[in-house]
Amino acid sequence: MLDVRIEKLEKAVCFMKKLVSLLLIFLPLLSGCQLRALNPNSERASDQTFLIWFSFGLMMIVLSVVFFLFVRFVSKYKQTEMNKNDIPRDVKGNKKLEITWTTLSMLLLVILAVPTVAITMESSPELAETSLENTSALHINVTARQYSWSFQYQNGKTSENQLILPKDKEIVLHLKSDDVIHSFWVPELSGKQDVLPGKEIILEFKADQVGTFLGKCAEFCGVNHTNMTFETKVITQNKYAEWVLE
Amino acid sequence: MIFDFWGSHVTVPSDIISAWILTIILAPIVLFWISKKKKWPLVREYMITTNHRKIGTMYILFGVLFFIRGGIDALLIRTQLAVPENDFWVFQNDKYNELFSTHGTVMIFFVAMPLLIGLMNVVVPLQIGARDLAFPYLNAVSFWMFLAGALVFNLSFFMNSAPNAGWTAYAPLSTDTYTPSAGNDYYIFGIQISGLGTIFTAINMIVTIFRHRAPGMKLTIMPLFSWSTLITSFLILVAFPVLSIALFLLMFDRMFGTGFFHGGVGSPIYWQHLFWIFGHPEVYIIALPAFGIFSEVISTFSRKRIFGYPAMVLSLALIGFMGFMVWSHHMFTVGLGPLANTFFAITTMLIAVPTGIKIFNWLFTMKGGVISFTTPMLFALGFIPTFVMGGVTGVMLSAAPADFQFHDTYFVVAHLHYVIIGATILGVFAGIYYWYPKMTGKQLNEKLGKWHFWIFIIGFHMTFLPMHFAGLQGMPRRVYTYQLGEGLFEFNLISTIGAFLMGSSMLFLALNLYKTHKHSPNVGNDPWDGRTLEWTVSSPSPEQPFKKMPYVSELDAYWYAKLENEDLSEANDTRPAPVSIKTIQPVILSGLLFAMSISFIYQWVWLMIITGLAVLSIFPIRSLTSRNEYVEKRVKHE
Repeated sequence: MLDVRIEKLEKAVCFMKKLVSLLLIFLPLLSGCQLRALNPNSERASDQTFLIWFSFGLMMIVLSVVFFLFVRFVSKYKQTEMNKNDIPRDVKGNKKLEITWTTLSMLLLVILAVPTVAITMESSPELAETSLENTSALHINVTARQYSWSFQYQNGKTSENQLILPKDKEIVLHLKSDDVIHSFWVPELSGKQDVLPGKEIILEFKADQVGTFLGKCAEFCGVNHTNMTFETKVITQNKYAEWVLE
Repeated sequence: MIFDFWGSHVTVPSDIISAWILTIILAPIVLFWISKKKKWPLVREYMITTNHRKIGTMYILFGVLFFIRGGIDALLIRTQLAVPENDFWVFQNDKYNELFSTHGTVMIFFVAMPLLIGLMNVVVPLQIGARDLAFPYLNAVSFWMFLAGALVFNLSFFMNSAPNAGWTAYAPLSTDTYTPSAGNDYYIFGIQISGLGTIFTAINMIVTIFRHRAPGMKLTIMPLFSWSTLITSFLILVAFPVLSIALFLLMFDRMFGTGFFHGGVGSPIYWQHLFWIFGHPEVYIIALPAFGIFSEVISTFSRKRIFGYPAMVLSLALIGFMGFMVWSHHMFTVGLGPLANTFFAITTMLIAVPTGIKIFNWLFTMKGGVISFTTPMLFALGFIPTFVMGGVTGVMLSAAPADFQFHDTYFVVAHLHYVIIGATILGVFAGIYYWYPKMTGKQLNEKLGKWHFWIFIIGFHMTFLPMHFAGLQGMPRRVYTYQLGEGLFEFNLISTIGAFLMGSSMLFLALNLYKTHKHSPNVGNDPWDGRTLEWTVSSPSPEQPFKKMPYVSELDAYWYAKLENEDLSEANDTRPAPVSIKTIQPVILSGLLFAMSISFIYQWVWLMIITGLAVLSIFPIRSLTSRNEYVEKRVKHE
């Protein structure tokens, strides 16, 4: 009898656990580690993922403090039969408290600002005129137009809606648009970079794993914007050398 | 469907046909109902009024009406996105683009703005002891121009040419090369005209607050909703002209062949700068008044004065001021370079400080108080965690390299709805429930109000929380579908269910309005045990309030007078009051502006000339027929 009961209890607990995890953790965790923007395959994307997690962690401190105070004050000071005719004591403010939370929030932002500034200064793409020519890298011309992408490699070879990249090689993309503004985005390899008409923008990264990644136009560009996608294939340098000469 | 129209084939999509049919059925019913209830004199009264409460009520009425329109757009969007590779009705490709473009534009310009301006209109004069806004006639002009602009914008859908370049209308997509249909012309004229009205309102509010406060009410003891109105008005005064200019330039590009935003000399980036120099302050324009409302509501229902009043005012001002220094955080991915990105990342982070100060002050206002969970208070309490969640994602977005991933994805969609619905919409609901007695004399049903709140807030989080993950999983904004294998299905399905839950909560508001007006008796001056001057006048507020002008010597003076069982002391040196008049001119002016807009949109030169001259002729007519009754009375008296 007892065993059966324990078994039932265990089953119930297990079910409750599942339910709770389903309700609370399902969304972030089940797909959390696989979320594409949090699954970097280049140093550039790694930096961005780091900043996302870092800022998320700092902000969770803020969020938990506010939620804690909120729940505590709302439950502790709610109107009851006992106090419903009370007139609470007036508090105009509290200089010390106010200075404390102002300072602490500034401090938290400084902690966030340090890596932000470092990574921003290093990884913000620039116009071609102002950026330094990186001669050892692999240069690829990227042209976006309503609603397709074309990629031109150094030997003049071109591909449509498919970007082939060698692993572990510095890539320099020269982004140009033929018509409206588009945006180049492969979450695993690089953040977004807008592609502007009449300007050339340099985007640099180095893929450190082979794989196939979906790329998308991330700036609304007209009727068929949704379908302006491309495939990015990262292959080994040997395979790339073969492919580019095909 | 294809129609033969004077010999040419015209294709009209079925959603537009259904909208026309619905309108043709509904319009006679509404007109018949007005006639049957003998409400035409009431309609006429509101058309010629210049009274602040009546104009405010109209702002709110039409704000809610457009909220329903924008909400239906949202539900259509969510239906199309519910499952992968969906083909819902006609809403793919350009039809979908029209949906999200109108949803965004309507919600910002024709919902958030009029709802807040409506509450300002009703409340601010009463709260500061003014008998009306400083310029009642101008106030009517503002309202009717807002309505004219909104009607121009909404007409576009019925004419099968809704704007389709997003609410941000980025050039060069929004220029005539890439979107030649009339849609974006409707966008330009609709916003231009209502935006002008908004600028007039800002001037009106500033002058009212500076010149018509009750004796003794120094700025340092003015209630926080009035403070937020004052600062918001300054933001409008600076930000909206920038929008006006941007729209004029875009109009010239589209209609008269200039090249500000494309071609050799122009640049599409100029549009983005102009738009966001307006657009980011606009975010604070619709958030600050909501902050003001929450300050009033939280203080009233905690039965305590606001914690840290000077810090509250200062942080309002700081947010407003810094709001002008952060616009390029919308443009981190444009390629402005490392220095610009760093600068705007830092300023954006800084703006979190005054916002955080406000949150803590609201929390500490509740500490030690007696909190009663009325409907307005529930909306205010729902605001705090919701807005903080939107705020922390805002800080995450400010880290520029992280934004390279977040930008233009559903993460941003989630963030912006957390802050805008979290602040503005919850604030407007709190304000409507709170001040409803001052508008109509009746108090809304508390039980239905609570149902409204809970279903709305649960639906809200269910809709927008999963969007963070959809964005990180690679879902860009403004796409009408996604593939099955992309791992986006669950998130989108939950969002869609949440959206319908949220939409259904509005039925409780509708039921509440119906029941309240059918059954409830009028309430007295002060149903909530309030703290500020608006609760000293009768409900609904009379056209000439403050016959005895109170003298205000401290913050929440009315509350402290009640505690002492005394009346507010009477002031003897009152300022001349603005006089409401009755005039149909504002309606005519905005009708002409409406016609002029249509003539420009369709390039009917003869109508442009006629309506242009007619609009100009309103100015001398107004100048020659203007009556300042106050001055006339005084002249007679002397």
